[in-house]
Amino acid sequence: MTRLLALVWPELRVPEADPRPFDRMLDALDDLSPRVEAVDVGVALVDITGLEPMWGPERRIAARAVMLARDVAPLCVRCGTGDNRWLATLAARLARFERPDAPAAFHDLPRAALRDLPLALLPADAVTRQRFALFGLTAMAQLAELPRSAVGAQFGPAGERLQALARGHDPRPIVARRRPERVVAAATFETPLDGIGAVSLTLRRLSAELCDRLRERNLAPGRATLALLLEDAPDLRVAQPFPQPALEPDWIARLLISRLEAAARARSCRGAELTDKQRATEPRKRANEPDSWPSVAPAGNFRPGSGPKLAVSPAGGQTDETEAPRVVALTLAFDRLSDPSTRQLPAFEARAGRWEELRWSLERIRHRFGEGRLWRAVDERPTASLPEHRSRLVDIGQ
Amino acid sequence: MQTDAAVTPSLASALETLRTRGLGLRRGSDPEPLETSRPAVPTGHDGLDAALGSGGWPRGGLVLLDAPAGSGATTLALGTLAAAQAAGGLTAWLDLDGTLDPAVAARLGVGLEWLLVARPRDAAEAIDIAAWLGRSGLIDALVLDLGERAVPDRRALDRLGSLLARSGSTAAVVLAPAGRAVAGAVAGVRVALHRSAWLTVGPDLVGQRVRAVVERHRWALAGGSAELDLWFAEGRRIDPIVATMAEPRALEAERPALRVVSA
Repeated sequence: MTRLLALVWPELRVPEADPRPFDRMLDALDDLSPRVEAVDVGVALVDITGLEPMWGPERRIAARAVMLARDVAPLCVRCGTGDNRWLATLAARLARFERPDAPAAFHDLPRAALRDLPLALLPADAVTRQRFALFGLTAMAQLAELPRSAVGAQFGPAGERLQALARGHDPRPIVARRRPERVVAAATFETPLDGIGAVSLTLRRLSAELCDRLRERNLAPGRATLALLLEDAPDLRVAQPFPQPALEPDWIARLLISRLEAAARARSCRGAELTDKQRATEPRKRANEPDSWPSVAPAGNFRPGSGPKLAVSPAGGQTDETEAPRVVALTLAFDRLSDPSTRQLPAFEARAGRWEELRWSLERIRHRFGEGRLWRAVDERPTASLPEHRSRLVDIGQ
Repeated sequence: MQTDAAVTPSLASALETLRTRGLGLRRGSDPEPLETSRPAVPTGHDGLDAALGSGGWPRGGLVLLDAPAGSGATTLALGTLAAAQAAGGLTAWLDLDGTLDPAVAARLGVGLEWLLVARPRDAAEAIDIAAWLGRSGLIDALVLDLGERAVPDRRALDRLGSLLARSGSTAAVVLAPAGRAVAGAVAGVRVALHRSAWLTVGPDLVGQRVRAVVERHRWALAGGSAELDLWFAEGRRIDPIVATMAEPRALEAERPALRVVSA
């Protein structure tokens, strides 16, 4: 007999909730059971059939699931168990927290307990509910005990399905999600490296190592993620999706380094903006301060030649002298693994497929020659009266 | 647009030429057969395809369109891209001066969704990008428009030519008015364009007739020529009535008023 555990996180069911922890929760639940289904955001079904000898009674299994999920995000969860997905999800819906600050609520719903529940719990539309009321049907048992042919004659196939639910039958099987595979390689530097440019050799080695591992299994990654652990600075993380599964370690490493440099530049720019804003909030200048003094200098104790160190850029502007953060460790991960020979061309059109392949080459060209080299013309206003208004060039990277 | 049969040498005279050059003495008395079956990208003009002898621009070949300004080289190149796309290919335009007008390209039948536009910084970078695109093997035809002033480096063009020949998939058309000497020495196919007449409907100028002469062809016999009618404004989609009514007018005649047939 099948036994299912339904988990519902009410805080993830509201429209403005951040759904990102949900995927990681599902990943965590994979450690409990090999069959986990993501029904919707904030609702998961776990097949716990036959797990009792290993993990104990169902309530203990539910507690273990709650513990695994709370390791990802400390959210309250309703747990329900039943013989099928209808009973399990309804049980989770009926679970009540024993105290206001309880992390979880648990409820088990046997099929026989359905009889006393109100008919309003059925997933019926408003018109059907109204007709149930007209017939005087208010409890599950009343609908369940009617002949199926009579319900079908009055309410059609939808009514028959609702009656099956009222009897506790739900033929829909659990559709287990496929666990996303991820291969990871990491390196730690006992002596931290100066600057992110110094990691390229290590990155190339790790990339080759992962590519070799995947090549043996005839798999290729669809995305590479690189995380740098920096000394005295927040971690730096970049991800590079590929237009098609790629097994070229050198180019993967180069693209990641390129992304990394761009991310580091963006971070330093944000840092500089932040510093400027902080300065802007300080007193602008003293009463006797000459107007020609640099505006980036702190106004409080500024003396020509005695302020903070400033690096003069070639253009003549002045910038803060900043040290590049040192790299303590790096982690390279490949995911979205697939068989490169079975990738599906978009729309089954040969030319579109070739264009997709070309995008990979274009990515390399962009990396080699820089931005602003590759463009595509798009028909922006095909019906414009002037020909020059009908189309325009857009950067292919956008 | 017919092939000028008077200019095309006969096969017998061509073989005789080869014999006199000593090629026939290499192996016995029979000269080596010419490679005429090289796959080609259509030029968009049947007459020119026939004159080239290879059915179009040879794949893996560097083609120089040697033409003075306003002689229809750009129009012919865009027509080539349109024909390549019509055969299911992907195309690229390397635009050094930034003069490519997508509206004109679209009017000449180029599908913009299958056209890649590259804007290199200088001629060397343009040749580099062309080499990268040629090496990908996914572009069927590309146009290397080096603008009015840029002179390409001979060795870089040589490298591009050999790379394209190895790849064997891309036909590269070069427009280099300033670097015609350099590009002409390297190109496997050199076609000279000369305006021979205006095409007019009454007082209105609707196109020009251009004489294309195949001056050099590494993979077929050179010397063929064709008359191409290049229409203004509407390109390949010229109204057939206008095309029927158009009459050639000698270049010496007073230039008629320019008129766009329909935008």
